[in-house]
Amino acid sequence: MSKELISLSHISKSYDGQLILDDLNLVIHENEFMTLLGPSGCGKTTTLRIIGGFETPDQGKVIFDGQDITALAPNKRQLNTVFQKYALFTHMDIADNIAFGLRIKNKTDQYIKDKIQYALKLVNLEGYEHRMPDSLSGGQQQRIAIARAIVNEPKVLLLDEPLGALDLKLRQDMQYELIRLKKELGITFIYVTHDQEEALTMSDHIVVMNQGYIQQEGTPEDIYNEPENAFVADFIGDSNIITATMVKDELVRILGHEFPCVDKGFGTEKPVDVVIRPEDVELVPRGQGAIPGVVSHIIFKGVHYEMEVQAGGFEWLVHSTKESPVGTEVDIRVDPFNIQVMNKPASEDEQALGVEEA
Amino acid sequence: MNRKTNPVEKIYMGIIFLFMYAPIVTLIVLSFNKSKSRAKWGGFTFQWYLNLVQDSEVLNAMANTLIIALIATIVSTVIGTAASVALTGMKRRTRSLIMGVTNIPMINADIVTGISLMLLFKVLHFDAGFITVLIAHITFDIPYVMLSVLPRMKTISPSVYEAALDLGAEPFFAFRRTILPDLAPAIISGSLMAFTMSIDDFIITYFTKGSGFDTLSTKIYSEVKRGIRPEIYALSAIIFVAVLILLLLSDRMKLQSGKLASRARAGGNEKIKKIGGIVALAGVSLAIILMALAFGGVFSKKSTQVFVYNAGEYIDPEVIELFQKETGIEVVYDEFESNEIMYAKIASDGAAYDVLCPSDYMIAKMISNDMLMKLDWPELPNAQNYIGRQYYESAQAFDPSNEYAVPYCWGTVGILYNREMVHESVNSWDILWNPKYKGEILMQDSIRDAFMVALARRGYSINSVDPDEINTATADLIEQAPLVQAYVIDQVRDKMIGNEAALGVIYSGEAIYTRRENENLEYVIPDEGSNVWIDGWVISRDARNIENALAWIDFLCRPEIALMNFEYITYSTPNLAAQEMIEDEEIRNSKVAFPDDETLSRCDTYVSLGEEGDRLYNEAWKKVKSAD
Repeated sequence: MSKELISLSHISKSYDGQLILDDLNLVIHENEFMTLLGPSGCGKTTTLRIIGGFETPDQGKVIFDGQDITALAPNKRQLNTVFQKYALFTHMDIADNIAFGLRIKNKTDQYIKDKIQYALKLVNLEGYEHRMPDSLSGGQQQRIAIARAIVNEPKVLLLDEPLGALDLKLRQDMQYELIRLKKELGITFIYVTHDQEEALTMSDHIVVMNQGYIQQEGTPEDIYNEPENAFVADFIGDSNIITATMVKDELVRILGHEFPCVDKGFGTEKPVDVVIRPEDVELVPRGQGAIPGVVSHIIFKGVHYEMEVQAGGFEWLVHSTKESPVGTEVDIRVDPFNIQVMNKPASEDEQALGVEEA
Repeated sequence: MNRKTNPVEKIYMGIIFLFMYAPIVTLIVLSFNKSKSRAKWGGFTFQWYLNLVQDSEVLNAMANTLIIALIATIVSTVIGTAASVALTGMKRRTRSLIMGVTNIPMINADIVTGISLMLLFKVLHFDAGFITVLIAHITFDIPYVMLSVLPRMKTISPSVYEAALDLGAEPFFAFRRTILPDLAPAIISGSLMAFTMSIDDFIITYFTKGSGFDTLSTKIYSEVKRGIRPEIYALSAIIFVAVLILLLLSDRMKLQSGKLASRARAGGNEKIKKIGGIVALAGVSLAIILMALAFGGVFSKKSTQVFVYNAGEYIDPEVIELFQKETGIEVVYDEFESNEIMYAKIASDGAAYDVLCPSDYMIAKMISNDMLMKLDWPELPNAQNYIGRQYYESAQAFDPSNEYAVPYCWGTVGILYNREMVHESVNSWDILWNPKYKGEILMQDSIRDAFMVALARRGYSINSVDPDEINTATADLIEQAPLVQAYVIDQVRDKMIGNEAALGVIYSGEAIYTRRENENLEYVIPDEGSNVWIDGWVISRDARNIENALAWIDFLCRPEIALMNFEYITYSTPNLAAQEMIEDEEIRNSKVAFPDDETLSRCDTYVSLGEEGDRLYNEAWKKVKSAD
């Protein structure tokens, strides 16, 4: 793994007596696309603003490239930010917007001109130098905001929900655009979003946050396939989260029916939570599966059908390419590899760590 | 129903506009009227506007107005904008609390704001004048700036500012380049509003200006007291048009600012810059022109001034000119209507008058209230050499050691009668009780003078506070009431000249004047005695230009100057050398103007009655007047 670039240690921050971040520790490596993911109010934006220098933590340190920058003013930090609402300077044209940072650094006119050309090319907006920001679309404005940030050659680019204000199609295009930019620039991106799909698509590393605590860190695959608790499981994609009992190693009792699984070490007859992704639930004809049920709802989603099945007193969410009309009697079957067993939070502290739904 | 064809709406609108603009249209039309009459159209003229431009006092006031407005606008715009920015960053509760407090000067009645500022300045020992008015204007301008800037500030996302910081800008540079351009239309609109309010203000200015400093509004007010000149119509018309233009510009700014907020176009900013530039340029050039005009006025005068507060029509205006010419001291001259009004003004707002001319009893009151300064006699050689000893002695009744006052005018109270109508010798106040002259008698409509007549007739002291004596006098006055034609003051003179009455109580100074107009009028001081009064120059304890005040007093004691004044106002002068120089032998030897010592020995000056005495007299006077 590449070297550590930023590390946050024991960061706490509160507003008006309300704790936003509590003893947060986080390491960001060079050249990674790291995403802070969580519902609004989880502390992800505050974390980003502390890195950017717009907030000062009540406690803890921010180390950047080996130096303590906790008290350094934002204009002295070697990083740049792309804001949610673009924050372009509306009374300056595009070229002046992009040149803003370079002029402050007293770069030569030729250098600035070259940089503007380079940046506009990078964001696919060549020829827009003399347009005013308000005459551009939202997506174009966001790309200008990115161009304005990257011409300063920051080591880290902070992006605060940069696609939040765009419509769905544009958002998807911009996701690929950002991945491409990241590769071309070869710098670190720290990205804040509440959109799990965005996070899964773009990131090298995801940090799931809730109520000021980090819930889980890992690659998109880790986070999706092996959520460590019910909050993560619920927040990342759709899930069936069911209270169950671990009978013994590799055997779990779900809704009164025993299922083989691959998890071990939870003890015997222990209450647990199990997560089963909707696409991992198989509907088989009556008599061939573990739990009998009836399809109660179905909608067509394009790539698959989304169905609700009443089985064993639980409403199962099922994704399948095969259609089963409402009223069909089916059995539920789950492959042992697709059952994810999680510890139930035992203490109140653990509960506060984020099991509560967002 | 088709809206366009509804005549009621149009008529209604028409009436509203008529009510709103008819007075102003009248004013503007009259400002071009050649005839001074308000009722007659005498043809079109620019005369009043031309007169205005040549009137240095008006130009001075105009310069003051604009300088105050300009500085107040600049300062309040900076403070108001800074406050708006700071408030936006605050928590909501703190913000609404502070907004409430800062809005008070705007919703508060002007008169309350004015008086409280005046009191504050007094407590802090600020000299009322340019600075106090400026501070007051800044105070009430700030909320107007905030009213315009704060809503705009709330629409500006702080991330634009943060983006600038993020790109390496220092905080102030970031503010200047990001937030300020977005605020500009609101700031300009707010400052125009503040400028208008400042130009417009009368009440607060009136209470904080002190003496000798005027803005246009206070100048107009003082002019109106003397009767409205057509120049004032012209001036008012100019102010109206100026304020109208400013308001239109301010509205335009707000409109632009609103457009910008909703959907700014590339050209919008350019336009605002242009308009802003034009406004700023116009403002600055206007200010420079007027400052240049007023240069000889406002700034050069400060050093050598004297603030004089005298009774109305109590000096030859030429004397003021001569004094200014000779000494180079500028005289700021104000007039009062009565001793009581003068006293109230000095006691209440500490108006910075240096030198005053009250009457005897008022001088006594001011001495006892520690409002006067002891005179520096070596600086007053003329006052020592030419004012008669006997007048200083008389003055000891109210100024026991002759420390405070230099006698200026003096006189007696007596009976003026028409020889054609009264065919007997008049030597007693008794004649005013003679039923023969029923309806032909004029009494002074003043407590002291009326009771003086009644008390003297009975042989009592004219300063008596003995309840029995006052009761007797009251009964006498009530008994006399049916015979009296009227209780009046100035009209005694006019009615006697016009043969409208046979007998009247009058001051000796007026008697000399009436004699010129009507040969049959004769003035007599009755044998029972009467009042002799003295008005004197004194220096206020708060005087700032003491040397100039002394120079003023001593100048008035020069024989030739005292003579000029005597001939102009016809009240007796205590200046012996001036008395010698009176050319008209008849007047020089007149017993009316200069009664002999024997007559004077029968006369007393008024002394202060004290609180209890004042109360007794007031109650008795009420009884007399209700019997009238």
